[in-house]
Amino acid sequence: MEQRAAMAEPIIDDRVIEACRDGDREAFRLLFEAYKDKVFSIAVYSFGGDEAAASDVSQQIFLKLMTAIGQFRGDSAFTTWLYRMVVNACIDEQRKRRRFLPFGESVPMSKIEDRRPQEKRYARLEVADSVQAAIKELTPKLRMPILLKYVEGLSYEEIATVMGCSKGTVASRLNRGHRSLARKLGHLRNEVV
Amino acid sequence: MFSKHVTKNLSAYCHGEVAAEESRRIAEHLIACNRCRGQFEEIKLGVKLAERLPQLAAPDSLWLDLESRLAADSNQSRVESSKQLRFSFKLWQPGFAGVAAGLLLSAVLGAWLFYSRESRPFWEVARLNGSPRIGSSRMDEKGRLAVGEWLETDGSSRAKIEVGSIGHVEIDPNTRVRLMETKPTEHRLELARGKMSARIWAPPRLFFVDTPSAVAADLGCAYTLEVDDSGASLLHVTSGWVELQLKDRESMVPAGAACATKPGIGPGTPYFEDASEKFRQALSKLDFGYVVDVPDLQRPLEVVIAESRSRDTLTLWHLLYRVEGKDRELVFDRMATLSPPPKDVTREGVLQLDDKMLHLWKGYLENSWSNQSGLKKTWIKIWTGALGKVQGLEGKK
Repeated sequence: MEQRAAMAEPIIDDRVIEACRDGDREAFRLLFEAYKDKVFSIAVYSFGGDEAAASDVSQQIFLKLMTAIGQFRGDSAFTTWLYRMVVNACIDEQRKRRRFLPFGESVPMSKIEDRRPQEKRYARLEVADSVQAAIKELTPKLRMPILLKYVEGLSYEEIATVMGCSKGTVASRLNRGHRSLARKLGHLRNEVV
Repeated sequence: MFSKHVTKNLSAYCHGEVAAEESRRIAEHLIACNRCRGQFEEIKLGVKLAERLPQLAAPDSLWLDLESRLAADSNQSRVESSKQLRFSFKLWQPGFAGVAAGLLLSAVLGAWLFYSRESRPFWEVARLNGSPRIGSSRMDEKGRLAVGEWLETDGSSRAKIEVGSIGHVEIDPNTRVRLMETKPTEHRLELARGKMSARIWAPPRLFFVDTPSAVAADLGCAYTLEVDDSGASLLHVTSGWVELQLKDRESMVPAGAACATKPGIGPGTPYFEDASEKFRQALSKLDFGYVVDVPDLQRPLEVVIAESRSRDTLTLWHLLYRVEGKDRELVFDRMATLSPPPKDVTREGVLQLDDKMLHLWKGYLENSWSNQSGLKKTWIKIWTGALGKVQGLEGKK
């Protein structure tokens, strides 16, 4: 799986959203391009590296987005509305899968290493891989705020709105998540500090 | 007395999610409270690790799959005469598309300009003398140095930078500095040339200065740092400790000591500024292979050893890591004469660079390295020892 290189993203403004409401496929394509990597990343990390599951859920999310965008009233930011949909879809799908899969069964994160760009520095990849593996081991309650903070770049206020909890709860879960990462990956201190 | 512990707010503090007053309270508490500082170090590491989490690229097939499902849904809808999904291409006729593309381009450019100019973090700068420049503009009495911007002084100008809420840096004439990073877990300045004086009031390892030949990490201190046109630098520490590092070469420099650095080599060996002239010249030859106008320095290590006093064990302790074989034995023997090692530290262990023994001995030696007394020594212990793990030479072989 490729890691995303920094590049310009399409600007999503009210007109694009309004056009999506009118069923404009090109506007929807713009919306898709702007958020596909973010949505897919959360899904991959939520499903422990299972790309197929992440693709399925990402498709469901965008289909739902198309049909439900008429209900978006602009009371909150569009991203908050979208990420709430993403979080709920991931949690629902995890619940469904838990009914059918033995506990803990998922695709190892190491499987996603193969198609990464060669030019990435090895040492950096090693740290990123270890972090991904450690993220996978977090409980969903601790994992999701970490993903929303570091993959999506949301503020505590936005994370709280997306997750339907208080800012204090977000701060507390991030605290626990950070400490858990530090304890599991303390041996990488010299690589990152 | 300690204020209320701050562990609950440490992640929010790291992310700049607490109000300024609360942020200041947390910073002050961290200085005084070992327990919270330990947790801060742990959370800071967690933040640094999480920052390495990459955003992944969705596969190209995602849109194709989605389009087929949309088409299938659309056909289904037509059959059912449902108008729920209605796609219109009217808006995308050529004329409108041109105008829309122009608007989109303007919006992108506008957003980029806004982002690059306004939303970057910055430090406040005050003019002290003359006309310092930020970027290409001369600054007024006050200015803002955004991340990525250069602050430059000419022969008659000086400036003072507020380093967030953790201290300040004074910039001397003919100096060029750039703000590299400013966030609660790391403040970083690049000193390309010239001289700066820093006074930092924060937990260790929050403030860094990159020079062409080493990185200076603040361990709670005051110091001056000077870089010449060749990229060599000279550090003088006036309070606390500073660590200099280039790759795996590190030097810990306490108050009253200095340390030179050279491009391609990194930090030399730290020395107390009141050491003899011969001692300093020999050390310079030992570190960098040359010294001006001193022809008789055939064996600089022997001069360093002969000239060393009790507090010069600072220099000798660093040299243990930097010399080998017989030379290391000579250094050990001189150190043992000046300040005998504690009972659990053996000659063999030290010569094999046993970390535990070296740090046990260093703990004893530090008393003679500090010209502070009583309360101040304890205070410095809080800064450096308790955090301890000041990762200077620890673990270095």
